[in-house]
Amino acid sequence: MDTAGHVTVLEAGWGGGAAPFGASWQKTMMWIFIVTDALLFSGLLCGYAFLRQANPAPWPDRTEVFSIAFIALMTFILITSSATMGSAVTAARLGDRKKALANVVFTIMGGTAFLSCQAYEWTHLIREGARLNGPIAGSPLLEHGVTAQFTQAFFLLTGFHGSHVFSGLVILIITAIRTSMGKTPAQGVEMAGLYWHFVDLVWVFIFTLFYLV
Amino acid sequence: MSDTAHGRSPYKIYWITWAILLVITVSMLAAEAFHLPRIFTVLFLLAFMMVKAAMIGGNFMHLRFERRNLTWMVAAGILVTSLILYTFITPESWNVRVKSQGPPPDSITVGERR
Repeated sequence: MDTAGHVTVLEAGWGGGAAPFGASWQKTMMWIFIVTDALLFSGLLCGYAFLRQANPAPWPDRTEVFSIAFIALMTFILITSSATMGSAVTAARLGDRKKALANVVFTIMGGTAFLSCQAYEWTHLIREGARLNGPIAGSPLLEHGVTAQFTQAFFLLTGFHGSHVFSGLVILIITAIRTSMGKTPAQGVEMAGLYWHFVDLVWVFIFTLFYLV
Repeated sequence: MSDTAHGRSPYKIYWITWAILLVITVSMLAAEAFHLPRIFTVLFLLAFMMVKAAMIGGNFMHLRFERRNLTWMVAAGILVTSLILYTFITPESWNVRVKSQGPPPDSITVGERR
């Protein structure tokens, strides 16, 4: 070992297997990633607040543009998939591989249903004339006061969230395959679960701030 | 290993959280029906949004059971940075709105008289 004083101090801090957050390095890094990813959505939501406040006309009534009951169904699906994911993590920790796999599969089904609903919602709005740069001329959305700011906020917020759901699904499918082969340790399921719950968490903010408030 | 260590199902917490989240979501959807002043509805929705976020973070993501410094790093890191972002970005939107609408009609009239 190097006997130089400052080197010894550094090694004592970083080289001794210390866990500053009382968690494994995998979990610590996952949390740091989640914080950075949350800040991406935080920036997007601030951008949405900016667009909404800068909008020259009154902000459109969301109940006239969307079916809020349908959005509520999407929320229900995502919350349910989070509960099944939590159950998968616990089952994996308890060593119950079959139950863990079943719950990961339920979560995948929930995620797929959510993405399908989102694809339907996007298709519906695009057919009504919504584009990233605003509604096209003659679009019925114009009658509801839909502006370019509105469509930009909608496509960017739900698009970024949807892409996270999609990547979460890819992670879950890999986790399911590896779990069925007995190759995923409990911690692997837990990391996938953390990411999935994060996706659910972001939806709570988008659902409230974009669709309800 | 038994699912019912300590006599309680370890899965129960997820389904209780799920039920509470569902009730909160329905309450948020019903809030509009009460025709409260807009400010109360918005405050109600924002408060319940934070409760839902805390329940997902605490129970689903197990932050309640992690070491305090990890919980604080996550919660304070996200909330404080978001607040800073919001505080410094959004006020400018009022200026953009005013500029996009042009000067108030009175000032145009005054200008024309000159």
